[in-house]
Amino acid sequence: MDERAILDHQFTVAAYAITWAIQLGYVAWLAFKWRAQKREADRAARNPR
Amino acid sequence: MKKLAIGLYVALTVALMVWGFYQAIYVAPDEQTMHEVQRIFYYHVPSAMVAFLFFAISLAGSIGFLAFRRNREDWAQISDAWALAGAEVGVVFCTVVLITGPLWGRRAWGIWWTWDARLTTTLVLWLIYVSYLLLRRFAAGPQVQTLAAVLGIFGALDVPIVYMSNRWWRTQHPAPVFGGGDDSGIKDPAMLAAFGWNVLAWLAWGILILALRYRVERQQQKFAAQEAQQALNA
Repeated sequence: MDERAILDHQFTVAAYAITWAIQLGYVAWLAFKWRAQKREADRAARNPR
Repeated sequence: MKKLAIGLYVALTVALMVWGFYQAIYVAPDEQTMHEVQRIFYYHVPSAMVAFLFFAISLAGSIGFLAFRRNREDWAQISDAWALAGAEVGVVFCTVVLITGPLWGRRAWGIWWTWDARLTTTLVLWLIYVSYLLLRRFAAGPQVQTLAAVLGIFGALDVPIVYMSNRWWRTQHPAPVFGGGDDSGIKDPAMLAAFGWNVLAWLAWGILILALRYRVERQQQKFAAQEAQQALNA
């Protein structure tokens, strides 16, 4: 592989990896928020004010 | 039954993502001038398409909120939840576009960024929706939803400008892939298939996270309504 092909490969891998990092990071944050809400709803159901 | 349907949809989405990745990396041929780095296209363009679609959903939600806020409170809240979910997930996809674009541009053009019409209007679109999300997050008071709806409508006005920018003006950004005249379009069937599969895959993924974000927001609205009711009763 020449230097150009190696750089092309690295940039392509970076683009794909960053895309997945952003998407999975966002889903993880959403799932965290959703679980916290579920816990809060369960607590409210157990101890109604 | 509902859980089974959700499970099947998630499985279908994961299968589409894996298939789309396989098509983009192993099946689609190397482009003649840009070679391997052109494969960024299979993530960059579908992400832009999904971002535009979700900003349109945000626009519809914003209009719905303004239309229903005085007479149908429940519909207004549902519309507002769609507006927020569309804006937030749209920003996620737009962020992907703004990161993968410069990575591709650095290898294809030799520069990370240029202030041409397509890139600049896309950055402006992202900034408008980030300010929308900041407004939703940090502003307080009864008018926040109304202000956000108005900002959401202004933000969506930029979407057709982004779309038309490389038709109206001469740009460094490549000519439109579709709908740009006789020369536009993907000629290679394997490239077209890889592109189509990735559009489908990212759309399915986007709908999944949009639905999850909508559900979280609706739950948040219910908590807020309960708290308000308890404060009134106290």
